[in-house]
Amino acid sequence: MDIDGYVEDTSRKVQVRFVTKLKPPFKAPTTSIALPSNLTRMGLSAVVNNLLESGNDDWKHEPFDFLIDGEFVRMSLEDFLLAKGISAEKTLEIEYIRAVAPRKEEDPSLHDDWVSAVDGSSRFILTGCYDGLGRVWEAAGVCTHVLEGHNDAITSVGIVKSIDNEDTNLVVATGSKDKTVKLWKLYAEPHAENLKIGAYRTLRGHTASVQSVAAQPNAIMVCSGSWDCRINLWQTKSSEEDTVSTKKRKKGSKEEETQSEGEAVSTLVGHTQCVSSVVWPENGTIYSASWDHSIRRWDVETGKDTLNMFCGKVINCIDVGGESSALIAGGGSDPILRIWDPRKPGTLAPSFQFSSHTSWITACKWHGRSWFHLLSSSYDGKVMLWDLRTAWPLAILDSHEDKVLCADWWNGDSVVSGGADSKLKISSEICIP
Amino acid sequence: MSVSQVGPRNTIGDVPLEWYKDEEHIGYDVAGKKIKKKERLDKLDSFLARTDDANSWRKIIDDIEDEEVELTKEETKLIRRMLKGKAPHADFDPHAPYVDWFAWDGAKHPLSNAPEPKRRFIPSKWEAKKVVKYIRAIRKGLIKFDKPKEEPRFYNLWGDEHDKSGHGLSYIPAPKPKLPGHDESYNPSLEYIPTQEEISAYQLMFEEDQPKFIPKRFASLRSVPAYEKSVRESFDRCLDLYLCPRARKKRINIDPESLKPKLPSRKDLKPYPTTCYLEYKGHKGPVASICTDPSGQHIASGSHDGTVRIWEVETGRCIKIWELGEPVQHVAWNPLPELPILAVSMGQDVLVLNTGLEKEENKKIEDLLRVETLSVPDESGCAGSSVSWSQYDKYEGIRIKHFKTVSSVEWHRKGDYFSSVMPADILLFFGSYFSVLIHLLSKKITQRLPYKLHGLPVCSTFHPTRSIFFVATKKNVRVYDLLKKKSMKKLEAGVREISSISIHPGGDNVIVGSKDGKLCWFDMDLSSKPYKILNSHPKDITNVAFHRSYPLFASSSDDCTAYVFHGMVYSDLNQNPLIVPLEILHGHTSVNGRGVLDCKFHPRQPWLFTAGADSVIKLFCH
Repeated sequence: MDIDGYVEDTSRKVQVRFVTKLKPPFKAPTTSIALPSNLTRMGLSAVVNNLLESGNDDWKHEPFDFLIDGEFVRMSLEDFLLAKGISAEKTLEIEYIRAVAPRKEEDPSLHDDWVSAVDGSSRFILTGCYDGLGRVWEAAGVCTHVLEGHNDAITSVGIVKSIDNEDTNLVVATGSKDKTVKLWKLYAEPHAENLKIGAYRTLRGHTASVQSVAAQPNAIMVCSGSWDCRINLWQTKSSEEDTVSTKKRKKGSKEEETQSEGEAVSTLVGHTQCVSSVVWPENGTIYSASWDHSIRRWDVETGKDTLNMFCGKVINCIDVGGESSALIAGGGSDPILRIWDPRKPGTLAPSFQFSSHTSWITACKWHGRSWFHLLSSSYDGKVMLWDLRTAWPLAILDSHEDKVLCADWWNGDSVVSGGADSKLKISSEICIP
Repeated sequence: MSVSQVGPRNTIGDVPLEWYKDEEHIGYDVAGKKIKKKERLDKLDSFLARTDDANSWRKIIDDIEDEEVELTKEETKLIRRMLKGKAPHADFDPHAPYVDWFAWDGAKHPLSNAPEPKRRFIPSKWEAKKVVKYIRAIRKGLIKFDKPKEEPRFYNLWGDEHDKSGHGLSYIPAPKPKLPGHDESYNPSLEYIPTQEEISAYQLMFEEDQPKFIPKRFASLRSVPAYEKSVRESFDRCLDLYLCPRARKKRINIDPESLKPKLPSRKDLKPYPTTCYLEYKGHKGPVASICTDPSGQHIASGSHDGTVRIWEVETGRCIKIWELGEPVQHVAWNPLPELPILAVSMGQDVLVLNTGLEKEENKKIEDLLRVETLSVPDESGCAGSSVSWSQYDKYEGIRIKHFKTVSSVEWHRKGDYFSSVMPADILLFFGSYFSVLIHLLSKKITQRLPYKLHGLPVCSTFHPTRSIFFVATKKNVRVYDLLKKKSMKKLEAGVREISSISIHPGGDNVIVGSKDGKLCWFDMDLSSKPYKILNSHPKDITNVAFHRSYPLFASSSDDCTAYVFHGMVYSDLNQNPLIVPLEILHGHTSVNGRGVLDCKFHPRQPWLFTAGADSVIKLFCH
C-alpha cells in the first residue's frame, strides 16, 4: 500500500491541452493528454514534437516555448502551478510558440580589430571597427564595401536613408574617435568585394571623440553625441553637394568623390559628461544617454530637453521601442538592463529590470516588430534575448570569446554582434512571433 | 393554720423528709412525742374527692406537718403574682418616686482636720533604696532588658551572605563555589569516571584547559585519601589575600555600542565604488602607477615591465604602448585637456611624452616638446649641472636626466610646472636642497626649492587652487608658499614612514598614507596634528587619493585591498569633516609581497582604478 502511494505521488499527472497560434505545420492535435507534472520546458517541447511527428513523418524537431496564462514556463509544470496557484484539477491550456532562440550560427565575419559598432537596420550589416574602417556585409563573411577615411576608431554607425526608395543604395553615417562624423553613399553592386568607398561628407565640429550617431527618420539630419558633452545636429546634404555627387558618381571607379565639409546646424547643450548614446525615433524628438547618469529627451525644434531622467548610473546605450515605441531601454555601468516608461507619471523608477548579465551592458536594441522582444550585449561576452513577459532571458548567445561591444537585430530574425574578439557573429533563424 | 400564726407543730427542723420515709411518724412535737403519719387517701379516693370538691385545686399537702392545707384567696393571688415575677404584695409600688433622705448640705467640716503630712513632700527613702538596688543589679548584669538574640543553630553554608556588608569596610563577597555534583562523590556512577584515554588526553592539554577535578571511585568513604592539593590551595589563598589590592575598583557598566560614533548609514552615502566590472590586462609586470586624463576617457599606466600604456576606460582597450625599457615608477597626466602629454619617471629620468591623442593640436604639442640642443645651465643655481634636458630619441618627447632615482612626478594645475622627487638615501652635500625639483616645461628650465629640506622627501604635490607646494618627508609634511618663498606649516603625522599624500580639492584637508598602514587626515585650519588617524590596513599603504568632485577618498595597500571612505568636508568652519568607512575592495592577488600599488579615482565618476602587483588594473564601479 505504502509503496503504491509513493509511486503515485512521483508520477502525478496533469491534464493538458496544447494550443497554438502557429500555422498548420506546427499545429498539434488539440486533444487533452495527461502529462507527468514534473515535466519542464524541455519535456514539454519533446511532447509537442512527438505529437507533431505523429501527424507528419518528416518532421524535424524544433524547440518550443510555453505560455500558461500569458506567462512563460521556466520551471517544472508542478512548480509553476504551485507558484501561480493554478488548480491542477481541470485541463490546463498551454500555448506553445516557437522558441525565441537562434537555430543557426553563421560563420564569424573576421575583422582586423575590435568591432565597435554594428547596424542591421537595412539589408546589409554595417560594422565599425577599431582600425578606422567601416565595413558593409551582405551576408556572413561577405564584405561588399569598406568605408575608408576615418583616422581613428569608428565608434558608431547608422543608416541614414536609402536612396531612390530601394533598399540597395544607402546613405550611411559613421562617428569616430577622430572627432568627425562622416556620411557615405553605398551603391549595391553585384559580386562586389571589399570595394573601397570614401566619405562624401565630413562633419567637423566636435572637440572630442564622437561616441554615437543617429539619423532622423526622414533623413534630413543626423545627430551625434560626443565626449565633449554635446549633441550636434547636422544636415545630411548641402544643396550644391547633392548635385555634384550624383553627377560624378561612376560605377566601380576609384575616382575621389568631391568631399564636402559640414558644420553643425545646432547643438543640444545640457549634458555634463560624455553623451554615450543618441536615438532619434521620431522626427521631432531625440533621446540621449550620458555618463552624467541622465537620459534626456530633446525637442528638435526648440533644442530644449523635455524630459530629464536621473538614473544613478552611467548609461552606455539606450534604445526606444516596445509598447507604442515609448519604452526606453538602457544599460550602463552595471549588469542590469533597465526599461523605463516615461509616460508613467511621477516616478523615475524603471518598470522592468533584467539582471542576468554579469558585467557592463554595451548595447540594447528593441526588436523592430515585436513589442516585447529586445536584446542586450555585455562585457561578459554574452548576448541575451529578452521578453518583457519573463524575467529570465529567452536565449543566451555565448559565442564571443571576449567582450561584446555592439549588437543589433538584422532582417528581423537574426542577431548580429561584434566584440573584442574582432569577429562579427550572426545568429540567425530566430523566430519572433 | 399558717406558720406565723401558730408555729410548726413538727420539731424536726430543716432536715430532708426522706429520713422519715420508712418511719411511721414524721417527727416529733414540742412535747417530744411522735407525730404519727396520717393515713393517706389512695389515688382513686383522692381523685373522687377532688372531683367532688370544687376547691380541691386549692388544697395542698404540707409534708412536714402532714396535713392538708387549703389556700386562701389572698394566698393564691400572692402565688400568682410571684409566678408573674411581680412583687408579691399587691400594694407594693415599684415605681414610687425616690425620696432622698440624706441631708447633704449639713456637713460643714472635713472628716479629719489634720494638716498635710511632711512625707508627702520628701522623696521616699525606701523608694530610693529600691532604685539603688535595681541599678546595682543592672550594672552587675543581673537584670537584662533586651532579650538575647536567638543564635541559629546551624550555619547556612550555601546561603547568601547579605548581612556582612554593614561593617564599615566595603565587603567584597567571595565568588561562589560551584555546588558539588555527582561526579565529586567518593563513589560516583561509572559514567562519570573518565577512561584511561581521556585521562592521557588531559595530560596533553594546556594546564589551564585541564579539568580541575578528575572523578575517582572509592569503595568506602574511609578509603578516600587526604586532599592532595590542600597545602597548595591554602598557600594560593594566602597569596591571593596578600596580593589582593586593597583599593576598590569601580566598574563602569557602559554599553560598548553607545561609545561608537553615530555615523550615517552606508546606503545614504551612495554612490561609491563597490564592484569590479572591468579589468585592463596587458602589462607583464607589476603596475606601479596609474593616472587618468582630465576628461576620464583614458587612463595611463606605468609598469615595472618597462612600458607605459594608455587604455580606453570604457572598453578596456590598450590604445598605446611605449616600450621604455626601464621600470617605470610614476606616471602623471597633464591636467590640461588640450595638452594630452604624460610625465613619466623612470630610473634617473623624467620623460615627458606626447600621447598623440590630440590630432589637431599636435603641432603645438610637438613644438612644446622640442628641446634645443643642450640647454645651457641657467640662473637657477647649480640645478642645471645636475639635471639635463634633452630630446628623447626613442619616442617623441623630452628626457630630463636627474642625478638620482626619481620616485614621483606631479603636475601643477596649470600644466606647465611639474615637480620631481628624488628620495636620495644618502644626504649628499646638496641632497637636501636638490631632492625636490620643479621643472618648467615651456622654458625647459629646472629650479630647486629655495629652502633646505629637513628629512628625506617621499613625494610632493601642488595645492589644487593656490600656489602652495606640499612635500612629504618620511616623518612629516612640509607646506611651502611658492609666491612668498617660505615655509608655511609643518604637519606632524607621527607615523613610521609616510608613503603617499593627497590634497582635498577644497585645499584645506590633506590625507597622508604611511608604511605602517595608518592613514592620517589633516585639517590644515585645525592643527598641525592629524584630525583623525585611521588604522585600517594591516600592511603598507601604497597610495591615497581624493575624488575630485564626490566626497570620497581611498587608500590602497600591499594587503591587496583598497579601502573607500566617505570624507565630507563642510564649508562651515565649525563643523569637522565627516569620515565614514564605506567599502573594502578585494580582487588583486599578492605578488612578491606587494598588493595594490596605486589607486586613482575617475575624475568624474565615483569609480576607483586600482593597479596591482599582479599586473592588472581594475576598475571598481558604483
